Amino acid sequence: MTAASRQFRALLLKDLRLELRTRQTAIAMVLFAVVAMMAFQFGFGFRVDDTTPLAGGILWATLALTAVLGVGRSFVPEREQRVLDGLLLAPVSRNLLLVARAASVFVYLVVVEVITVPLVTVFFVQDPAATDFALIAVVCVAANFGISILGSLLAAMAVFSRARELLLPVLFLPALLPVIIASAGATHAVLGVSNDMPEYQGYVLFLLVYAVIFALVAYATYDHVFDD
Amino acid sequence: MIEAEGLVRRFDARAALNGLSLTLDAGEVLALIGPNGAGKTTLLRVIAGLLRPDEGAIAVGGHEYPDKRQAARPLIGYLGHDPLVYLDLTAAQNLEFYADLYGAPTDRVLSGLERVGLLARAYDPVRTFSRGMVQRLALARLMMHDPRLLLLDEPFAGLDAAGTELLESVLRDLGDTRGVVLVTHDMAIAARHATRVVGLRAGAVAFEALGPVGHEELVQRYSEVIS
Amino acid sequence: MTETGPGRSIALWGTLTAVLSTAAIVGAFLVAPEDADQGIIQRIFYFHVAIAITSMVAFAVAFVAGVLYLRKRERRFDEIGVVSIGLGVLFSALTVLTGSIWAKASWGIWWQWSDPRLVTYAIVVLLYVSYFMLRSSVDGERQARYSAIFSVVAFASVPLSFYAVRVAQSFIHPVVFTQSGANMPNTMLVWFVVSQVAMLCLFITLLKLELLQRRVDQALGELKLRLEASRPV
Repeated sequence: MTAASRQFRALLLKDLRLELRTRQTAIAMVLFAVVAMMAFQFGFGFRVDDTTPLAGGILWATLALTAVLGVGRSFVPEREQRVLDGLLLAPVSRNLLLVARAASVFVYLVVVEVITVPLVTVFFVQDPAATDFALIAVVCVAANFGISILGSLLAAMAVFSRARELLLPVLFLPALLPVIIASAGATHAVLGVSNDMPEYQGYVLFLLVYAVIFALVAYATYDHVFDD
Repeated sequence: MIEAEGLVRRFDARAALNGLSLTLDAGEVLALIGPNGAGKTTLLRVIAGLLRPDEGAIAVGGHEYPDKRQAARPLIGYLGHDPLVYLDLTAAQNLEFYADLYGAPTDRVLSGLERVGLLARAYDPVRTFSRGMVQRLALARLMMHDPRLLLLDEPFAGLDAAGTELLESVLRDLGDTRGVVLVTHDMAIAARHATRVVGLRAGAVAFEALGPVGHEELVQRYSEVIS
Repeated sequence: MTETGPGRSIALWGTLTAVLSTAAIVGAFLVAPEDADQGIIQRIFYFHVAIAITSMVAFAVAFVAGVLYLRKRERRFDEIGVVSIGLGVLFSALTVLTGSIWAKASWGIWWQWSDPRLVTYAIVVLLYVSYFMLRSSVDGERQARYSAIFSVVAFASVPLSFYAVRVAQSFIHPVVFTQSGANMPNTMLVWFVVSQVAMLCLFITLLKLELLQRRVDQALGELKLRLEASRPV
């Protein structure tokens, strides 16, 4: 195992172990997601006969808000228990810190999606087809890349500032709007009776481009976040 | 081991370091003394690569900052006010984490815990430890990657008797390949361990005393610095 | 301030801006031919588009200043960044406003979600307003550094937002947006260029003015500190 992959494994394992012991992030994210979906249902789901066209939008608005919540938990142990210097003193490249952070956010998002996606189809879609799930899983993975990379970059700045609980959503959500547009579009394209593959592929491609662009931005700037 | 020249570091308008120069050779234990706000902790954090100087040049182990900081990091062991361990991980998990980050052999986890007398508590979360035990764990973390340059910021604060004994033995048996910068308020500790004492005031060197310095002399010179 | 340099240069840019803006207003409202389809409301286009492009120029300036700050850590790049983004937000808010007026006149509604540019500008305003929230939550050198990073992030998300909104709309209503832009008679183009140059001059004038004011503020602050330090206790 190379030094970098050993460091990566240690950083990711550390996050997951902390989460398994304290169980603060993933459960809160899942509960939040379920409540948010119900809020959408009571907000406007009542007023339409068939919510299938709304399902993609509900799913991704919910997931985006949940992602903001989960990303906001990044670096909280480091901040509260003042361990950040320990990470920064170690001979770990700053970009590896970002990748490891993004990987743990990615895992949380997958946990939430495994529960949320079936629920959305049960709650809001008439006649869901089994193949839809595979297609939506691809959208989830493509969207998670961008969400977790950009979220980790912004969280690193927000968590060590004042008013962080408010700051992160304000910074993060406007930049997430393209992800909501594209993932909701891709989901909508394949959910229910519709099956518009070119549209679906266009959106998924966009999500990947989004991830690549913010990966480059993060690669170029993340070094500076901790360079006091 | 450390070559620093003309370091300046400002926090807003206030200069915590104001044109400070310092060198450290292997085999030396350098005690840094000075009143609060003299820039001792800032200097230590600049040497550790946690803070960028606004002006001046610094190299550790021949690696010039800021470009070669990554290469200097494995050489440095830093013990500051915070123990830098996760309270919700076990003692062994914490040390394993740092062993992985530094590429140190994993068998040092248990031998390190044994050395600081925490082997029996290896699999308990750090949250259940007393303050003295946490500090001893921090010592084990410090020694995990066998650093050549120890940066110690008031290391005896909060250490219990066993920990104090242990740290004193580390400082005694240093050998001539390692160097230490020891920030302390305690003149007795400085007198006992230092091979050289540097007094700081207002971010610059106020006095320097070579060779082992007696306690009386140190107290005398320190009070001159403060007045 | 004893030097006259910055003041004179601002006066020069200000004069240029005033002349060009007057020319643009006269040209756009009185000289340029009336658009056959849209009538008088089309004349807002000369300003709407010029303001929109200028706001993008402002964000691009902030992006470059952000990159330079991260490389050089010089305070002046942070100042250019914050002033440019402030002006960029102002200009893009004006873009949304003038666009909304145009939407009301041509489509009968104040807001048209299917116009990707209008929606993108609304997103951009939100994005860059949060820049100021970030600034107010961080202090010292870190404030400048985080601001620089965010100005890079925000600039990267502008084209992504535009593209996402545009693609989504094209799937829902294909071929909506081909009005304006490409097919412009030369007489219109001339006045558009004058207006565009005027807006860019306005941006430069305001940028310089604000930077000067910040420098004066800072000099004043230092003077106060020195005075207080020298006062006998």
